[in-house]
Amino acid sequence: MHLYEVLRRPLITEKSTALQAQNKYAFETADGANKPMIKQAVEKAFKVTVTGVNVVTMRGKTRHVGRRQIQTNPWKKAIVTLKPGDKIEFFEGV
Amino acid sequence: MKVTKDKVESSQAFLTVELETAEMEHGMEHGYEHLVTKANIPGFRKGKAPRAVVERQLGKGRLLEEAIDHLVPEYYEKACKEQGIEPYAQPQVEITQADPLIFKAIIPLPPTVELGEYQSIRLTPEQVDIKEENIDAVIEQLRHQHATWEPVDRPLALKDLAVIDINGMVDERPYVKKAAAQYQVLEEVITPAPGFAGQIVGMNKEEEKEFTLIYPADYPGKEVAGKEAQFKVKLHEIKEEKLPELTDDFPCQISAELKTIAALREEVAKNLKLRAEEQARMDFEEKVIMAAIEKAKIEYPAVLVDMEINRIINEQARQLQMSGKGMDEYLHSINKTPEQLGEDLRPVAIKNVTASLLLGKVSEVEKLEVAETDIDKRIDGMIMGVDEAKKVDMRKLFDNPQTRESIRQSIMARKTIERLAEIAKNTGKSGEQKKEDVK
Repeated sequence: MHLYEVLRRPLITEKSTALQAQNKYAFETADGANKPMIKQAVEKAFKVTVTGVNVVTMRGKTRHVGRRQIQTNPWKKAIVTLKPGDKIEFFEGV
Repeated sequence: MKVTKDKVESSQAFLTVELETAEMEHGMEHGYEHLVTKANIPGFRKGKAPRAVVERQLGKGRLLEEAIDHLVPEYYEKACKEQGIEPYAQPQVEITQADPLIFKAIIPLPPTVELGEYQSIRLTPEQVDIKEENIDAVIEQLRHQHATWEPVDRPLALKDLAVIDINGMVDERPYVKKAAAQYQVLEEVITPAPGFAGQIVGMNKEEEKEFTLIYPADYPGKEVAGKEAQFKVKLHEIKEEKLPELTDDFPCQISAELKTIAALREEVAKNLKLRAEEQARMDFEEKVIMAAIEKAKIEYPAVLVDMEINRIINEQARQLQMSGKGMDEYLHSINKTPEQLGEDLRPVAIKNVTASLLLGKVSEVEKLEVAETDIDKRIDGMIMGVDEAKKVDMRKLFDNPQTRESIRQSIMARKTIERLAEIAKNTGKSGEQKKEDVK
């Protein structure tokens, strides 16, 4: 997997904005990505130093399509901790 | 905040208000707080998104709009206070710059009325006199109203009533078709076509006639204007108007109480006189008010006139509604846009506004008052014709503070006009006597 395919999109929610106070940033990542890949990808994309990566697999939700019940796809969330003082400008003022 | 008072003119103050960045920021913050509670932003519950996110999602423009909506009234009020201006009505606000905010406000000021020498107005009311020929005219009219139509056997003449079949064709299509219609043969009548009467005059009973008429281009019926029409007419009957004889029998037909011609004349004269006197009184009052306006110096903001125009238009719309017609239809029939109608009403509105300002001031200077009993009396008058059972309900309908206030105002206006009229006639000598006259 190419490094550029690892990070799908930044995750901007109430919870993730609250995490920014602890210098942590959340992303939706590719299913096959692992912690070292995410670390590399974030460091390369935003020119910062990553001190920790936590990964969660988010369960798909049950949804109705008409009368049928379907399962949405599960996805992978990564919460990246940066070196104190580093910042990802992209999230600023999102 | 920086406020500059540009000028004061015709009872309007022109202010320019400039805001500083910090004040802007305060407004923006307020705008954000207002918006965030309503904005639907994915990932956030309502009211929970940080300002940066809201700004990005909705755009800074929305925030600014919201801020301006909030800032303008606040700083308008502050500016008024600072300049010691008491606004009389809603201002016109024009925003010249958004960030930092600069806005111009045109503030209507309370109207000022200087009465001038209204005490010195001297006018004489016009004398009413009823001429004999006026009475004759009315009686003649009454005779026409009580006329009977009697069949006659002679060629049709003008002013007769004809019973006819009409069959009119325009462009090979039937336009009018009536059987045994009653048609009064008058030269000036333009239905079914101008000149129709002229064509059928001279016909005999049971005679048939065909003729062609051309509608003029300005004929009100659009679909036939300027076209040619063929008419077939059959005359069935000719009736002549028989006026009642002016004997003592005639008045009885009008009213059982009138026994003789002389009594009728007297009654007619009385009615005419009443109406003429009423008219003369109104004319006179109008003149007095105009004279007082001439002497007074009245300044008022232009919005008052606009408000009055709106009021008149609303009133008209309401009346039209009652007669089952819409305002749009009416405007169409007089071929005008609402704006044109407003402009037409402007002189009337100006007059109403100046008159009411003047009267208000006069009543103040003359210390006129309306007694509560007068209002009660007026309400009694309004519910007079109502059933006993409904009277209580009706009274409830009228007997509330708002209605009482509007009644008070109308009585007050009446009293003031009468006072002015008296002064002009130079009748009332002492205050006491004046009051009695008013009653």
